[in-house]
Amino acid sequence: MDVELIEIREFLAGNAPFDRLPDEVLDRLPQRLTVRYLRRGTPFPPGDDDRPYLYILRRGAVELRDADGNLISKLAEGDLCPSPCGDGAPSMGGLRGQTTEDTLAYLLPCEELDRLRAAHVEFAAHFDASVSERLRTALDAMTHDAAGTALMTVQVRDLLNRALVHGGPDISIRDAARIMSEARVSSLVLTEAGRLVGMITDRDLRNRCLAAGVSPQEPVRRIMTEHLHTVRDDTLGFEALITMSRLNVHHLPVLDDNGVRGVLSTSDLVRVQSANAVYLVGDIRKARSLETLASISGRLTELQIQLVHSGATASQIGQAITAVTDAITTRLLELAEAELGAPPVPYCWMAGGSQARREQSSYSDQDNALLIADHLKPEDDDYFKALARRVNDGLDACGYIYCPGEVMASNDKWRQPLKIWTKYFNTWIKRPEPMALMLSSVFFDLRPIHDPEGLFGELAERIHTMSKKETIYIAYMAANALKHRPPIGFFRNFVLIRGGEHNQTFDIKHRGIVPIVDLARVYALSAGLDEINTVERLRAAGAARALSSDGAANLVDAYEFIGTLRMRHQAEQLKRGEMADNFLSPEELSPLERGHLKDAFALINKMQESLGQRYQAGRFA
Amino acid sequence: MSRLLLEWRRRWRLRRLAACPLRDYLEAPFPQPRRDYRDVEYVAVDLETTGLNARRDQILSIGWVCLAGNRIRLNSARHRLIRVRGNIPADSAVIHQITDDVAASGIALSTALPELLADLAGRVLIAHHARVELRFLTAACRRLWGQGLLVRALDTQTVARRLLERRQIPFKGSDLRLHSLCERYNLPRYGAHNALSDALSAAELFLAQAAHRDTGHGMKLGDFL
Repeated sequence: MDVELIEIREFLAGNAPFDRLPDEVLDRLPQRLTVRYLRRGTPFPPGDDDRPYLYILRRGAVELRDADGNLISKLAEGDLCPSPCGDGAPSMGGLRGQTTEDTLAYLLPCEELDRLRAAHVEFAAHFDASVSERLRTALDAMTHDAAGTALMTVQVRDLLNRALVHGGPDISIRDAARIMSEARVSSLVLTEAGRLVGMITDRDLRNRCLAAGVSPQEPVRRIMTEHLHTVRDDTLGFEALITMSRLNVHHLPVLDDNGVRGVLSTSDLVRVQSANAVYLVGDIRKARSLETLASISGRLTELQIQLVHSGATASQIGQAITAVTDAITTRLLELAEAELGAPPVPYCWMAGGSQARREQSSYSDQDNALLIADHLKPEDDDYFKALARRVNDGLDACGYIYCPGEVMASNDKWRQPLKIWTKYFNTWIKRPEPMALMLSSVFFDLRPIHDPEGLFGELAERIHTMSKKETIYIAYMAANALKHRPPIGFFRNFVLIRGGEHNQTFDIKHRGIVPIVDLARVYALSAGLDEINTVERLRAAGAARALSSDGAANLVDAYEFIGTLRMRHQAEQLKRGEMADNFLSPEELSPLERGHLKDAFALINKMQESLGQRYQAGRFA
Repeated sequence: MSRLLLEWRRRWRLRRLAACPLRDYLEAPFPQPRRDYRDVEYVAVDLETTGLNARRDQILSIGWVCLAGNRIRLNSARHRLIRVRGNIPADSAVIHQITDDVAASGIALSTALPELLADLAGRVLIAHHARVELRFLTAACRRLWGQGLLVRALDTQTVARRLLERRQIPFKGSDLRLHSLCERYNLPRYGAHNALSDALSAAELFLAQAAHRDTGHGMKLGDFL
């Protein structure tokens, strides 16, 4: 072909489904096209074509409206317009269109489209709605295309930059220190017959030996850490980073099939990644005032932006940000206890909602509650009220705004002893009512944040026993899970908000993410699973056959894809110094991403419908 | 030149020319200016040259694409590199990226020009700032066949200037450049200074200009000339 039509070829190659065609077919495709220009305001399709064509938008925009004039969809650059081509290709189906911008379109004759579909299975598959594969490819592409993929793709074995330095547990502390000093390392792995038995770090030498007055002649076994968290050598750098932030440790032994392979330290990770949840968490634990905490939490936006740019998925970002929120919560409790004195009876600080699920983005609002030991006396509540007030105010000062629904520990209703909590859940489970449904997303996603006496386990056990016997509340929750529907019209077009501040956008959180979170909760509860995180719930539910394993895998992919688009949208806003929101315009997306997002929405729709049928959810709506 | 005289001159020249590609081209009558522009066929043409002087400088490449009414047929897109005499001046090579090596892979003008003429027969030539294209093509025809090129030509730059003047919109010379106008009409920007890309841009610009002037009552070809 004439190489100069290369620009048209490249345009096609960047758009679904043409990206699936082999190079030599793409080379010849531009010659099959006709070019038309439609002025803004022209009816679409223009109606003066000599034969049926598929319109591919090169520039401009087309709006499609139903018979009542409601906007059904807005097509933009790279989109395929509804056509008379039939057989799975998008069709006008009674809609009326109009160009809303000056529009240049490429026209592919329907018979050429048929020929391509007959000859190229992958291309044809686009029209046959093989949603799952398209989504997975899209997710891969998005996380791999990001700049600085370092931690996302590198395995920890490639981060270990030296041979393992190790010794036996019975050598003296002094010898251990000497080995570390000579090898210039900050940690020493202790092994017995090749098996990992413990580890010491610089800090242990200082805190557990010198400061504690232990003789350096003692065996190192006396001061070593025995119960170690380890990672496998094929773990992704990013996962190791999250493990370290969650555990607040700076060293992780790395294992392969033959035993210990080395020690991963935070500095190994810092070499590849400067934004670091571990350091934020470290700083939080040292913070002595609310002001310091608030200034550290101000760096969360930076963390989110950097994670997005390094190609992290929504789940990974959610884990990292929630690790920071957990640390801030814990630190606020410690500071409050330092001021108010020790608690009169044991208590557990519980987080609900996105913090419980480890799915926060920077600046979610706060959902929390207090579980208190049953033997509290009436006068003790003054203490817990003051404690809760301090922590709720502190979280608000750190950017976690007060929960609009008042689900906070400072609210008397949500600061109760175990027996009252048991009663609450008993009501929600046995006599479900609309209020319980509203609260379900908060209280059926519950996680202990600070629980020194282990009170939460008892509550969890009771909830488990109660819910096993009852199924009615699950039917109610299933109905509730169908409330938020994805913004997709009946033939795969975005349904957008009309007018107002968010004109021509859709709410990606409530119409994309919440539906999947709600579905996952229903699956998990119906199978009696303890998982709280949405991805973990879906995987476990797939394994427990609460839904098909394909369905589970596809929903995970859809969730990650939508969530990652949302995180990226917010990171862009934060970078521009704006408030992050959830209102996404299809124009922010590449044509490929738009296609995949439609796939994800279609999948949610399908899963919602099948859930609705299973629980006959209409009866409870 | 007067539009009415053009057809008369075509017949006169046809009688005086011996058999050659230029004579074949002249066999087809020019489209009549009173016809609806949507029923006329066009060829958008662009040339890359070694300079601006049609007598001294040479054609380096020709790009063209045919239009049937208000539709561009991409299957008619052609791009021909021309083998030139002597070296390509360095300053022009910087602009169009055609070096001596590239040009050496080209074909003779006497091969390429008949191809263009065959497509141009019975059609209107579209070019942006058409004077340059017309001068070079005329010079080439005269060299090869002893006669200049007679053609019905539509200059998208002239169409644009008239529109701005009629609406009394002030404009700078740079506003009339091909790529500035394409941007104004929301057209894609192709890599500049490639003969086919620019020919395609000129074709798209014509579609846009026609769509914006056509109020639904139809326009005559003559309204654009």
